[in-house]
Amino acid sequence: MMFAAIEVGKHFYWQVGNLKLHGQVLIVSWVVIGVLAIATALASRNPQRVPGGFQNLMEYALEFVQGIAKEQIGAKEYRNWTPFVGSLFLFIFVSNWLGILVPWKLIELPEGELAAPTNDINTTVALALTVSVTYFWAGLSRKGLRYFERYVQPFPVMLPLLVLEDFTKPLSLSFRLFGNILADELVVAVLVLLVPLIVPLPLMVLGLFASAIQALIFATLAASYIGEAMEDHHEEEHGEAQHA
Amino acid sequence: MSIHWTIFASELAKELAGEGGHRGFGLNPNILETNLINIVIILGVLIYAGRGLVGNILQQRRQTIETAIVDAESRQQGALAALAEQQQKLAQTQVECERLLAQATEDAKRAREEILAEVDRDIARLREAAEREIASEQRRVGEQLRRQAVEQALAKVAAHLERGVGADAQYQLLDRSIAALEKGASS
Repeated sequence: MMFAAIEVGKHFYWQVGNLKLHGQVLIVSWVVIGVLAIATALASRNPQRVPGGFQNLMEYALEFVQGIAKEQIGAKEYRNWTPFVGSLFLFIFVSNWLGILVPWKLIELPEGELAAPTNDINTTVALALTVSVTYFWAGLSRKGLRYFERYVQPFPVMLPLLVLEDFTKPLSLSFRLFGNILADELVVAVLVLLVPLIVPLPLMVLGLFASAIQALIFATLAASYIGEAMEDHHEEEHGEAQHA
Repeated sequence: MSIHWTIFASELAKELAGEGGHRGFGLNPNILETNLINIVIILGVLIYAGRGLVGNILQQRRQTIETAIVDAESRQQGALAALAEQQQKLAQTQVECERLLAQATEDAKRAREEILAEVDRDIARLREAAEREIASEQRRVGEQLRRQAVEQALAKVAAHLERGVGADAQYQLLDRSIAALEKGASS
């Protein structure tokens, strides 16, 4: 028989002042940021007119995230928000995939284990809160205080619901991502524990697929919230229902 | 929450890793526990399948960009050629313009000179005619004056004659006339 252990809820704590930081999350986040930064630097180091090889790949990725932003925010305004939406997508996507494709367990920490940063609720809440702040900012910078008209726009009766929505948006965003990634990692870990070879493979493939979809959903919803906040005509919720 | 599955051999794992209650940093040498084989397999499949798929997409994208660039370049060439042609035409037109302007100036100058010369001629002719007229008028007035003088003299003479000429005076007059006739005949 094999021997293995699954550790959940154990963290490699770093004490900074009064804060206890989850070191394993930060380490892998830095790796992800590093991968993205190096990839970007490599792709843009020697730009060719006809993009070849890696530059081509990264340009394709850029066009993809531009497409997400454009689709949700509209061709007129999307340029300002592409960096934000693109960063969200790329960070989450690379986090998720590196979590699956890098054998992090080869490295032992004093406590906890290295994994995708998105399997920690703190990461996803932080990402979701940046989305909240950003769509408020987008709306306020576009319409000023008239932004708040949208809370009473169709009928003032909707006010409580629409206020509630501002809280449910980051909640659903963060829990969706966190839950999907953590669940996938747990399932794979349990299967690895029980049957180490071959059997976890389909679930890992499923995990690759699901985590890519999760990154797409997160970025799309973020863009959709931003677009919604900047919209002139009030329109209810077109993102959430489709993707949930 | 803290879920902790432990199979009997986890104690063994700790022993292998040489740890007490608390682990340090290190490498986990257990291939199965670290899921390394599965990850290698899945990476292999990803690279094998992804290479074709992503490669195709990238190839297509590259081709699209290439054709777009070639297209744009050829259109730029065409535009440049057209520009050069039009510029040449413009230069030609300018040359033509200058030629026409010079010719027009020349024509204008010639016409001006012709007109001036003609006017000069006219002036001369008019002056000449005026002078001739003045001369003839002078002559006419002179003749008239002379005739008037003669008529007055004749009238005076007739008046004198009517008053009668004395015998002495008649003789005297005859003598003087004869003498004048003789002088005229001798000379």
